[in-house]
Amino acid sequence: MIWFLTIVLPLLAAIITAYLPSGRRGVGLIFVGATLPALWLGLVEVSGVTAQWFLLESHFSLDTPRRIILLLTVILWATSGLFAGSYLKDDARRGEFSFYFGATMAGNFGLLISAEVASFYTFFALMTFASYGLVIHSRTPSARRAARIYLVMAIIGELFLITAFYLAVQSAGSMLLADIHPALAEAPNGPFIFLLGLVGFGVKVGAIPLYFWLPLAHPAAPAPASAVLSGAMIKAGLVGWMHFAPVGLVEWSSLSLLMVSLGFTAALGAAIYGLTQVDPKTNLAYSSISQMGVMTVLLGIGLYGGIPAGLLLPAIALYAFNHGTAKALLFMGTALPAKVGGSWRILMWVGLGLGVLAIAGGPLTGGLWTKYLVKTFLGETSLPGAQTFLLLLTLSAVTTTLLLSRFLHLLYQIKAPAKKVAPAFLLPWVLLLLAGGWWTMTPALLPAELMNYITKEKGIMAFFWNLLTNWGALWPITIGVLVMAFTLKFAMLNRWPTKNPILPPGDFLHIILLAGDLLAKLIGKGISLLEYGIKSLQGPEKLFYRISDDKRTSQISAYAEILLRRWEFVGIGFFIFFITLFLLLR
Amino acid sequence: METTSYLPLLILVSSLIPGTLILLLREEQVGLRTFLNLFGAVAKVGLVAWVFAGYMRGEEYTFFFRLALDLTFSLRVDQLGLFFAALSSVLWLVTTLYAIGYLEGGQHRRRFFAFFSFCVTASTGIALSGNVLTFFIFYEFLTLSTYPLVVHRGTDKAVEAGRTYLWYTIGGGTILFLGVVGLFVVAGPIYFGQTEIIANLISVNPTQLTILFFIILTGLAVKAAIFPLHGWLPISMVAPAPVSALLHAVAVVKAGAFGIVRLVYDVYGIQVAEQMNYLSVLAVFAAFTIIYGSVRAMFQDDFKKRLAFSTVSQLSYIALGVAIPGVLTSTGAIVHLVHQGIMKITMFFAAGNVAETYGYKKISELNGIGRRMPLTMGAFTIAAFGMIGLPPVAGFISKWYLGLGAVEAGSYWVVFVLLASSALNAAYFLPIVYRAWYCEPDYEVSRLRNSGRLEAQALLLIPVVVTGILSIAAGVFAAMAGSPLSIAREIAEKLYLL
Repeated sequence: MIWFLTIVLPLLAAIITAYLPSGRRGVGLIFVGATLPALWLGLVEVSGVTAQWFLLESHFSLDTPRRIILLLTVILWATSGLFAGSYLKDDARRGEFSFYFGATMAGNFGLLISAEVASFYTFFALMTFASYGLVIHSRTPSARRAARIYLVMAIIGELFLITAFYLAVQSAGSMLLADIHPALAEAPNGPFIFLLGLVGFGVKVGAIPLYFWLPLAHPAAPAPASAVLSGAMIKAGLVGWMHFAPVGLVEWSSLSLLMVSLGFTAALGAAIYGLTQVDPKTNLAYSSISQMGVMTVLLGIGLYGGIPAGLLLPAIALYAFNHGTAKALLFMGTALPAKVGGSWRILMWVGLGLGVLAIAGGPLTGGLWTKYLVKTFLGETSLPGAQTFLLLLTLSAVTTTLLLSRFLHLLYQIKAPAKKVAPAFLLPWVLLLLAGGWWTMTPALLPAELMNYITKEKGIMAFFWNLLTNWGALWPITIGVLVMAFTLKFAMLNRWPTKNPILPPGDFLHIILLAGDLLAKLIGKGISLLEYGIKSLQGPEKLFYRISDDKRTSQISAYAEILLRRWEFVGIGFFIFFITLFLLLR
Repeated sequence: METTSYLPLLILVSSLIPGTLILLLREEQVGLRTFLNLFGAVAKVGLVAWVFAGYMRGEEYTFFFRLALDLTFSLRVDQLGLFFAALSSVLWLVTTLYAIGYLEGGQHRRRFFAFFSFCVTASTGIALSGNVLTFFIFYEFLTLSTYPLVVHRGTDKAVEAGRTYLWYTIGGGTILFLGVVGLFVVAGPIYFGQTEIIANLISVNPTQLTILFFIILTGLAVKAAIFPLHGWLPISMVAPAPVSALLHAVAVVKAGAFGIVRLVYDVYGIQVAEQMNYLSVLAVFAAFTIIYGSVRAMFQDDFKKRLAFSTVSQLSYIALGVAIPGVLTSTGAIVHLVHQGIMKITMFFAAGNVAETYGYKKISELNGIGRRMPLTMGAFTIAAFGMIGLPPVAGFISKWYLGLGAVEAGSYWVVFVLLASSALNAAYFLPIVYRAWYCEPDYEVSRLRNSGRLEAQALLLIPVVVTGILSIAAGVFAAMAGSPLSIAREIAEKLYLL
């Protein structure tokens, strides 16, 4: 029952809130209420169920990594739902927003609790297509453009996914997601199927080279929607990857190396490119790409073998948890500086600072020990070049700090409102801060197996205390902050743009569009040639039409009719007909 | 087959008699006509349900009538036929409601409803016919009874379209006749399901039977709108919306598709058709039609014309599924008979509603229509997503089975066809959805024609909502016993057990 409520309540909330008049309070609370069954599933272990009536026989259950990500997802949807309730209270299209918000939520929860292909794909599609409405919400030309690019990429992703699922289900001989990765490990075309899944889900994850829709679409949505897009939905792709990846069962060195190098390219490249941006939300979107790169690296080393899935996948989920809560905090935070006044601003800056620290992996945050997990596994992999990877990881902490301090700098330039009141949406934000802080700074979510593995002989609390106050981890961050402060203050005084980005957001997209334009021109020429050809042929569908319409035809047919009326012709005709039949069938 | 049951005949009569009586009525007797119509429609649904229940209990319903020495008119109930009969009778009921609303105050309604009833008589006749001859009789009856519907408006354009329609369908019928007679001469009377007759003869007369297969297939392909015989379909969309809906979803095109299913599964048998490579020819034509129809649909601005080309494309899914041997693809093909029907009828209802309420017939006029007709366009959006193959709408289920079956059979190229078709479907349906929901209307809101509470007349609105719900329910509850999928799977499994 609880499994169905998890999906049905958000759908109900979508319909109910869509019809509430604009300006009405309580929308946020409805959304919070809709997340409660999912919260229960995230906290309490419930045995899975089978729904024999749903789609092609659905199963719902959770495993450890997915439970962690479900909890993250619930926290983000609940707080951003509450946030949206206040943030969009007077928006003209609030009803529409609520509808898409609730539907997307249902899809996001549904795909996490699905244990079999059809329902997973269904909810994945629901999330993807419902969030289109969130991206296009503002109806500005740039939002429309972002939404269009998002949709095209989403459809391309879906096509890759369905192919991957056809092949995977066929080789597994089962619709269960849990049967897919062992089957891929065995099947001769396993790496190919995985590659299809890698591309299909890579669109959602924002993996290189499929990420370019992300810096356009995530910032286009209203702040609470960006928070769930970048914090929760992006992880749906990661969950998809986990379903396909036979971690610990195979040694696919080339795929592993491919994922690791793409991951590091994203981790460093996206952070650096993000520096050229002037919209704080675009900055964050690039940071998301960069952070997802780190998770790509982690999953990539899993494909080289040697690390059991039971350890690696929860570690990735925990990293995702930390990134998700912090990123949502920052995304919602972009709405705050213009609205929060007085002493509440201190709280705001502390929260934003913690969020930045958490993503960069600084002390006193969950970022430190989730990064520690990454380091542990990177150090232990037998993949050649592990030492370089550790160096690159540290370097990515520097670039991330650079990017996020630039983000803070951009927020800093937004003027505070005259009033000293804290708006209603500071509350959900603080709730998110607390929830994220609690679950990322304590070992509450750490599965026992992984905990034993990383703490070794040390006591758990001592271990955590050591980690959280590991000031040595501060040096990459300090370097980042100093470099940023230096460039801002001295080197590029007044030269760092604040109005227009140095380079357009969506980088790679522009090359594609340029090439696409050229191609479109060529195709257009081809089509006009073809159309000319078809016109001269009148199109096959007009063939009979032409015959029947032609004057000569009608004359001939009239004549034919006169002929036919003479019985000797009919007789001869029938005779010939029968002779032919007879000869044919003899 | 000894006992004769009049129930199958009764199913046919339930629409034939109201149709005939309507012809005898006067044009002004609206109440009586509506009563006869609805009575017939409801009775037919009830009878089909009754027979269905009986069939599930294991009873057999057969009706014989000897026309000549060897020629028998035979109605027989089997699962596939019942499946198609259920589709026609349910959608006919819905379409009758819609037509009553749509033609309110129109001209020649007596003629219209009479032939409307004949048309569904023919299509249930096709569903229930027990042998090739009976099938052919109803197939031709269908051609003749739809012609007055196509030209209903009586405009020059409609008459021209009607002429084209006749050229194609009578031509197809003639070819089919040739094939049916030939088959009778070579193999004697064939009842559906007696695949052993051909199986035994194929080694004796391979050439003749091959030629006959393709002759019959050509005759059927005209109605199933397989390239290059699809030309009548986009032209005959000048007919009123309920007619297009019926033509595109249930009656004519489905008769062709159903005929192909019968020909391959119940006359020649899947083994023979596969051995003799008939299926690969069919597969190539079907695949090409899928792509061709989609590409043509992209360039249409006329709402109904775009839907018409989409029908051309979607219908060939059925042929493609038949052409790839395997339980899964057969399931996909059979279930798509129903799924395509409910989704496409939803789309035509929606197009009709928009045209009837606001007079918009072009896609470029649809900006912001979703705001004013949320239920209509909501149903349309569901159907469009289904056509693309997105879950949980019915179309996903068909595509899932077709794709998985193609992979199982090792025909990977079919997956590419399905993917390309999904992408093309998205390319021509999503712009409509986008315009309806996300574009601002170009005109004043004060131009709204209806100021009442409903977005359109109730009789126009209810059918579209019902079929919209059906299209999503057929997908969501696909695994449930009694769903189209479960029945299709049963039929397909039986085929391959033999």
